[in-house]
Amino acid sequence: MSTRPRSYNTEGVVLRRRNLGEADSIFTVFSPTEGKFDAIAKAVRKPKSRMRGHLEPLTRSQMHLAHGRNLDVFTQAETIAAYLTVRDDLDRLTLAVYCCELVDRFTVDRAVQAELYDLLVDLLEALDAGAPLTVGRYFELRILASTGYEIQLSRCAICGGSIPEGETLFSVGSGGLVCAGCRGSAGAGRLISVRAIKAMRFATGATMGQFAGLRLEAELEAELQRALSEAIRSVLERETNSGRYVEALAGPLQRPVHEAPGDVQ
Amino acid sequence: MAEVPSTPEPIQRLIEALHRLPGIGPKSAQRPAYPIPRTSEQEALALTEAVMDVKRRIRLCSVCLNITEADPCGYCSDDRRDKTVVCVVEQPLDVLAIERSGGYKGQYHVLHGVLNPIEGVGPEDIHVRELVIRLQAGEIQEVIMATNPSLEGEATAMYVQRLLGPAGVRVTRLARGLPSGADLEYTDDVTLARALEGRREI
Repeated sequence: MSTRPRSYNTEGVVLRRRNLGEADSIFTVFSPTEGKFDAIAKAVRKPKSRMRGHLEPLTRSQMHLAHGRNLDVFTQAETIAAYLTVRDDLDRLTLAVYCCELVDRFTVDRAVQAELYDLLVDLLEALDAGAPLTVGRYFELRILASTGYEIQLSRCAICGGSIPEGETLFSVGSGGLVCAGCRGSAGAGRLISVRAIKAMRFATGATMGQFAGLRLEAELEAELQRALSEAIRSVLERETNSGRYVEALAGPLQRPVHEAPGDVQ
Repeated sequence: MAEVPSTPEPIQRLIEALHRLPGIGPKSAQRPAYPIPRTSEQEALALTEAVMDVKRRIRLCSVCLNITEADPCGYCSDDRRDKTVVCVVEQPLDVLAIERSGGYKGQYHVLHGVLNPIEGVGPEDIHVRELVIRLQAGEIQEVIMATNPSLEGEATAMYVQRLLGPAGVRVTRLARGLPSGADLEYTDDVTLARALEGRREI
């Protein structure tokens, strides 16, 4: 018989929820001490559940779990921070959910990454305190770096030579900025502006708060967003669900109405 | 289910069909499937006919998208109901829940889903557009968002508010607070904060 304790405590941020059977749910949690894990909350969809509100996605909670045969089972949960301001604003909520999806996709089960946990909590707290949505770009750069995909911004990613100031090729496949001489051997990429390079360089040495204090023009913000979401897509080798959702929100209801509303789909 | 090779093929097929229904796990699918050989042919036929009848005769109401036999549905064609208020819900079952409460005598609109940024369900995947078109007739003055008080339900309510608010329609949200019989000690912060926000004089 193993001597490990039957249950344990941890804190964590709830990344997502899937329903299971009549009244149970499986929650994906990211914890500083356990890494990412799935666990079951029994009867959590019944109105009398004491845990339901403490396990909503985007909630940071203190949790108590019992080891199960396959998945562990929540026995108690109590909110540390619910981030009400984030929940009350569609754009903040969407960005927070997007960042949670990134954490989910960039991590493997039960691999401890305390630094990434701090980054996620910083982001939720910043968004809750009213930081501009540009903190999302900081988060993207940092999650790439902390999971081993740091973007090379100071030297040419191919020859290691210096990068003269000017529009430069940004090639995710090559690992970052590529100097004019190496362009031929770099894969696909996009040219990015000096301002965008400077903003990203600043982010690598700054705290989230310092980056949030940076005033980015809408055009520059859009450029960074395009470059970074391309980098993320290239690393993950897929689109993110919430990224697609953001696009859907931006261009609402462009398609004609369903031809026959009388049909049950 | 390779661990039960002894299951006869027709039963296996029935189990798989039941398993595809929402809320039915592999075990709950086996339970009703195994007794079928012992039921009379009449009972078996009654079951298949009931399923087929639902499929043939039930459709979505062309106005509110609730499931119905007659189009428009009973709620939409009832002249005693208030035509200026529409209550937006996620699922047809939510209409039943609100009707049971007895406190509402207006129109409905069933979205058949909810925005879910985590799973990538966007506005095109639910029946929001039909709601916008309904409002263009100009009769509706208030839209009550009765989606669940979950992350997805809140996202949907905020999205509809953003879509309809500028058009001058009053968009309201169901109050969020403590359920009857709740325990204050175990109530989560969000619920408690909302309950305080929405407190009323007694």
